[in-house]
Amino acid sequence: MSHGTSRLGVGLWTFQSSATRPASIPEQYRRFAAQAALLDRHGFHSAWTAEHRLWYDGWCPALAHATAAGLAATERLRFSSAMMLLPQHDPGGVVANARTLHRLSGGRFDLGVGLGHRDAEFDALGLRRDRRGRLMDAALQTWDAAWDGDDRPPVWIGGLAPAAIARAARGGHRIMLPQTVLAHELAQHAEPFREQSEGGDGGAGVVGAMRDVWVEPDPARAERFMEAMVRHYREEAGAWWVLRGEVGFTAPEHLDRQMARVRACALVGGAEHVAAGLTALFDAGVDLVVVRLAFDFVEPAALEEQIARVADEVAPLLPAGRVVA
Amino acid sequence: MRFLLRPPRLDDLAGAVAAARAARAAGLDGLLLAPSAELPAPLIAAAALAPAVDDVLLAAHVALGDRHPVEVAEEVAVTDLVCAGRLVVVAVPGAGVARADYEEALDLLRTALAARPFRFAGRRWTVPANLEQNVHGVERRVRVTPTPSRPRVEVWTAGAAAGPDGRRALGHVADADDDLGALAAAWSAAEAEAGPALIGAPRARHHTWDGDPAALRAALRAGREAFGQDWAIVRAEAGDAAALGREVRPHVQLDALPPGLEAHWADGLA
Repeated sequence: MSHGTSRLGVGLWTFQSSATRPASIPEQYRRFAAQAALLDRHGFHSAWTAEHRLWYDGWCPALAHATAAGLAATERLRFSSAMMLLPQHDPGGVVANARTLHRLSGGRFDLGVGLGHRDAEFDALGLRRDRRGRLMDAALQTWDAAWDGDDRPPVWIGGLAPAAIARAARGGHRIMLPQTVLAHELAQHAEPFREQSEGGDGGAGVVGAMRDVWVEPDPARAERFMEAMVRHYREEAGAWWVLRGEVGFTAPEHLDRQMARVRACALVGGAEHVAAGLTALFDAGVDLVVVRLAFDFVEPAALEEQIARVADEVAPLLPAGRVVA
Repeated sequence: MRFLLRPPRLDDLAGAVAAARAARAAGLDGLLLAPSAELPAPLIAAAALAPAVDDVLLAAHVALGDRHPVEVAEEVAVTDLVCAGRLVVVAVPGAGVARADYEEALDLLRTALAARPFRFAGRRWTVPANLEQNVHGVERRVRVTPTPSRPRVEVWTAGAAAGPDGRRALGHVADADDDLGALAAAWSAAEAEAGPALIGAPRARHHTWDGDPAALRAALRAGREAFGQDWAIVRAEAGDAAALGREVRPHVQLDALPPGLEAHWADGLA
């Protein structure tokens, strides 16, 4: 196993065909198995999917089913999600899906869950968005009651808010911090989490963080990637997020602030630059970094090249440390 | 007559892959995946199998009426994409689900799998709900995405509570112990109700392989005679697929075989 990659997950597979890059959706589901096999060969920790529903571009709403496609082609790679929108799912169905994945994968599935944010997604399913915290807690209770002993998938709770941190700590779960947290800000979230954590799924106190990453030593090309990525997030937040009570595009100043944040946090540049940024996260106490290389605008061949570059050029520069199961 | 193998025990990926490969090698049409304690979600099993085994159909039990049908539709669409169109949904009523809820779920599932924005106002489900507490960007009609691989997903009804349904003109899976006379009457009634819409709708029945090819052939011919059975779901080990492919399937493809052919085959086996 190449050192360094064992503390890195790779994401985020969303299986979209967007206006920015129209693509065959069936091909993306088929290619996921080959891309997971590539991660497996390079010794990465895990592959991460992401969920939304009812988007024009087919954003995947059923992550467990997409994930299943990667099992047969891999032997050691883990699979998780950042995030599955747990309050939007039937809790018993989530358990049945996870139990099946856990068994078929030989224990290589982690449940990664977040709250979800878009009213329309809740509304389609007859759910109130303002009840999402309660729905999340109820679903996690169902989850905990469904498993005997320690033979159960670890759970990652996504988010940053004190309620998310407290929820993860209370349940003995792990946290997955979003890509918009700077290394020097990590401690303010990770330390309360570690203090509050108590035994649960054996993963108490485990901290993950996401990071937008692109290995490109040429400054002009790196900047072109950065611009494309910021444009991607501007579209996502502008069309689909509510920022302080307003739909994104109608609140341009909030959108600008959010995009400045995206730019400040992303690690785009040569291998040394990317490795230094990831090392800062590990040094700040992160156990696992999920590097986001996959976006709707990235061609599959470019994604596969980036996976190899992170493994071959960045991972050898990373510090050794605790590898989470 | 088409054949789906239903292995009695499926509890890991290697076993499921072996069963699917055995079905394929024997010229059978595919597998039926039903829930078990180890693998309670057959759609997940189908999605895991599809990339490992080409060609075979993957029929999966999907419980309806307990969970929200839009969520089920999303799972079906993604699984059908992963299966590259080889998925067959065998819609069974969820535990304790009333016939009316099952039928409503069936209608909402199929509505959600189509490619147009819709509103659905059922007795149990309203989509979108347009709850007053949901305020931002709420939609009047929703479009479930992604769409499945094919223009339509094959959906069959099944389970004791749901006989062949002329109004919906879907395929139907009968239980092994369903009375042939009753099945004949039910399919005739469905035909009368559906008219030409029922042409080609699969008429399936469960069987159990007990090692006696003559008995299974006779049962299949009797089903075909009584209600037009054209699919056999056979509970059998992966290791028995070859016998089904050689000693049963060829015998029941045509209405009748040329005189002497079965005797010739029997000579070859002896």
